[in-house]
Amino acid sequence: MSAALQIDKLTVRHGAVVAVTDASLIAAPGAITCLVGVNGAGKSSLLRAVVGLASSEGNISLGAQDISRMSTEARIRAGLAYVPEGRRVFPGLTVGENLLVSGPSNARARRQRLDDALDLFPHLKPRIHDRAWQLSGGQQQMLAIGRALMARPDVYLLDEPTLGLAPQIIDDVAASLRQLSASGAAILVAEQNAGFAERIADETILIRTGRISNP
Amino acid sequence: MSAVLSSLTRRNRLTIVAVAALALYALFFASSYDQRILTLAGIYVIMVLGYQFIFGHAGALSLAQGAFFGVGAYVTGILASQYGTGFLLTFPLSIAGASMLALIVAVPVLRLASHYFALATLALSQLLLLIAVNWVSVTGGANGLPGVPPITIGDWQATRGTSLLLFVWGIAVAAMLVARWQLNPLRVAVFTVMRDAPLAVPAFGIDPGLLRLRAFVLSAAFGGAAGALFVHTNRVVSPETLGFGIMITCLTMTVVGGRFGILGAVIGALLLTHLPEWFRGLDEYYLVAVGVLLLAMVVFAPDGLASFFKQRRIPASPPGHAATGIEENATSVKTGVRVLEISNLSKRYGGIQALDRVDLSINAGEIVGLIGPNGAGKTTLANIITGIARADSGSIGSAGFDLTTATPTAIARRGIARTFQTPQLPDGLTVHEAVATAAANIGNTANKASSISARATTAIATCGLTRIADARCGTLPHGLRRRVEIARALAGAPHILVLDEPAAGLAPPEQAEIAEILRTLAASGLAVLVIDHNIEFLRPLATRLACLDAGRLIADGPLDEVLADDTVQNAYFGLVQQ
Amino acid sequence: MLGAQLALNAVALGAAYALVAIGFVLVLNATTAVNFAHGESVVAGGFAAVALAMLVPAGSAIPGIILLPGVLVLTALLGLAIAALAYLPIRNRPPVSVFVTTIAFGIIVTNGLNAAFGAAPRTAPALLGTGTIEFLGVTASRQSLAIIATAALLIGALAFVLQRTQLGRQFRACAQDPEMARALGIRLTRITLLAFALGTAFAGAAGLLLAHQFFVTPSDGAGLILKAYIAVVIGGWGSLRGAALGAMLIAFFEVGVASVSSQPLAEGLLYVAVLLVLLVRPDGIFGEPQRLRA
Repeated sequence: MSAALQIDKLTVRHGAVVAVTDASLIAAPGAITCLVGVNGAGKSSLLRAVVGLASSEGNISLGAQDISRMSTEARIRAGLAYVPEGRRVFPGLTVGENLLVSGPSNARARRQRLDDALDLFPHLKPRIHDRAWQLSGGQQQMLAIGRALMARPDVYLLDEPTLGLAPQIIDDVAASLRQLSASGAAILVAEQNAGFAERIADETILIRTGRISNP
Repeated sequence: MSAVLSSLTRRNRLTIVAVAALALYALFFASSYDQRILTLAGIYVIMVLGYQFIFGHAGALSLAQGAFFGVGAYVTGILASQYGTGFLLTFPLSIAGASMLALIVAVPVLRLASHYFALATLALSQLLLLIAVNWVSVTGGANGLPGVPPITIGDWQATRGTSLLLFVWGIAVAAMLVARWQLNPLRVAVFTVMRDAPLAVPAFGIDPGLLRLRAFVLSAAFGGAAGALFVHTNRVVSPETLGFGIMITCLTMTVVGGRFGILGAVIGALLLTHLPEWFRGLDEYYLVAVGVLLLAMVVFAPDGLASFFKQRRIPASPPGHAATGIEENATSVKTGVRVLEISNLSKRYGGIQALDRVDLSINAGEIVGLIGPNGAGKTTLANIITGIARADSGSIGSAGFDLTTATPTAIARRGIARTFQTPQLPDGLTVHEAVATAAANIGNTANKASSISARATTAIATCGLTRIADARCGTLPHGLRRRVEIARALAGAPHILVLDEPAAGLAPPEQAEIAEILRTLAASGLAVLVIDHNIEFLRPLATRLACLDAGRLIADGPLDEVLADDTVQNAYFGLVQQ
Repeated sequence: MLGAQLALNAVALGAAYALVAIGFVLVLNATTAVNFAHGESVVAGGFAAVALAMLVPAGSAIPGIILLPGVLVLTALLGLAIAALAYLPIRNRPPVSVFVTTIAFGIIVTNGLNAAFGAAPRTAPALLGTGTIEFLGVTASRQSLAIIATAALLIGALAFVLQRTQLGRQFRACAQDPEMARALGIRLTRITLLAFALGTAFAGAAGLLLAHQFFVTPSDGAGLILKAYIAVVIGGWGSLRGAALGAMLIAFFEVGVASVSSQPLAEGLLYVAVLLVLLVRPDGIFGEPQRLRA
């Protein structure tokens, strides 16, 4: 069964700038947790620290495992998946390659998961041989989520998944997140679009100037 | 005497003792062979001092320093050995020849990005080496030209030994003085900004191209001088002077000694010229050891040996005299006068119409808020106003000048200053130094150090930063960095200030402080354009609001009217509230 | 059929240069850093061949192609050393630092070889014997044909790995967005080491191919890195295909000019040409102009 993500007294600094102060939260399996705050509140910094791309103090654990000292690569292998702001798909790789690249090392298992991902995001199927830069913003977002899915993570971290998307596409994103959560994964979404957060969140956490204020 | 000594810092006393000891050794104890090595060291000091301009201060990896050395060497070598030209003529010609070459190649080479710059300078070196080896009738080919006379001035000759040693080190000291004069603290600070925050440089009226050109030509002049002295010492000029080996030696000396400062040059040159003597046992593996040394220095002590001798530089606190320097643009423009006129401005990026026939004007004393959803073209507009990007069509005028095609530097000098979405501040400089770099470049006559400092002090005070004027920018929290950026923009005495999201990422109290500063500035006649999408920040601040959507200006007028407008509501709040 | 023979020579030279340029781009893509020791890696490959040939008893007649695996392994190890000593310790510093450390590494290689083998030019055995083959009325040198075949084989194998395997996908992902690749669990350091090993082995192979006809001297590195560099500038910074194309163009230029005048003139004109190219197109011939928008 999936494990929860637990963050305890996390502080993130960029040089002298403190981006996140003493943040604690839990993202539970099978639930969507939304981290809501304005631009610059520290949402992205928090997610980047959890995945190990920004250095931080405090504890991060995944299930029973303390991952705070691990490298980014090791954290991902331990069961985290990260969908960054701006999707950051690999523009020169095809849609299929973007998905396969984060798959398991066994070739057959990789193919199987590719098919699963395409079932979840049928829009990507006809574009499988196109380069990722040719996709629309919404399709790129689907691709980025699908790419994360390939590793079968316990916890998804998504940074602003609706930014710049048309309302219809936002619905699609919401639906796919619900589906992932229904399969038992813990999902932590950083979001400044309060309307979207309200719609999908099982739990909402507010973040203001780097501090989490529990309602 | 003891009073004089005690008034010196510990470092200065150490320096004096070291120089005296070295001089004693060189003049009275060194063998003629040792003196030759020391002479060579003096020559390399000159070369490294020059290389510090381009590699250290300008931060560009030039691989042409050896080429400039070689050009200086060949100019002197050919003229002196073939035509008997005297030192008083050949020496300046060597310097001029190398400098001229730098000026010529600077046109294609200097604006290149770092790796292309290294490539181009290496290509230049290889080209010159090929010419030296193959143009036998002039250069003597691979064997070079023997018979270069010793340095002769009138009846005096510096043949070998002490006289040549003293002469070379005399020139080296002169070179140190020139380097010192060229690198006053302010210019060093400007170079630092150019390396650490390159975006900010043109926006504050400093032309980075000219700065790099100056560094490049100076490095060439020093290299040429060193090359000329080298052939007088060796009495023969050969392609060796143009080879990659000399370049490598110079690079190693600079990295080992230090990229900045006279001490670094001296340490690097003395050490690298003496190492072969100390490591005789290594034989032909000596150069392998040099490679290992260079590698280890970059990895373990990137600032060079000189950095171990340096005390942390304590910046002089800004002089406290009153702001006599501010008489420029800012106060001379009356409130209500139109200072910026943008008409019919369009810009495409690839398939995206970033700006579509935008008209906007700003008056003195006005605070105009520019809002719009992400990607509406706000930053593009700021970039075009400040010359970082160029419009496809339309025009921008300010105070009777057409600025549509002006460079960022020219625009900054016309009194348009800006801040950046991500503060572009040099981490290593103090607040006062960072602000002073912009104060120095408003292109007027009052550019004396004291008035620059005074202008910076005033700008810092305006932004309420006096207390932290001596703190390093890198240590400041985000909110203060934003204010330092505003202070720096003010230091150039602008009459238009363009701010790109000055409140982003700030807590409400910090936002209020910024707003207060902007209100004060507007009241004194400055025109302020604030780009932000934080309505709560703009509401109490802006006298007028303009709204961009997908590159088009969809509203422009009093704040309340614009906010109530249906199109604005749809474009701007639609996504958030649906 | 002098023209056809010249063209064949040019293609052979271009194929060897292409190996050098492709190796350079492999490292460039994985690290965004310029490996200045790359020219010395070619030289090291040439000397590896010379040394291996000496190990074989009565080695006068052995075909050079037998040495290829040994040369590839030795230079791949050299690549790992460059990565471990000159790149990984300073990967987070400004790019100029890597420039200087790899220059230092080049000095070490050049002078190490100089001390071990002497400064005189050496020659490696021909790949598949010397002499010529008569084909459709064209007299072709065996060595040129063997160079083309060997290079084509290596480049083909690389293309297969990059395009068709999971490793290749991961490699390309790291090249496009290293941070994101790490955030997907791809071990960036391993990929970086692999890039250095492969890239340097390609340079080493080129060293073997070039060292028969053109000899090899310890100080050849600077000229070779410059040609790799020029090929990459012509072909577009970071493009493997472009690098190979650029290498071919350089070879044709050199062989063409040298056939009507002299080798130094050909080289000199090449440098003048590259300075002129940079004057007109500061981003390279096929390079994308930078976009400033943020």
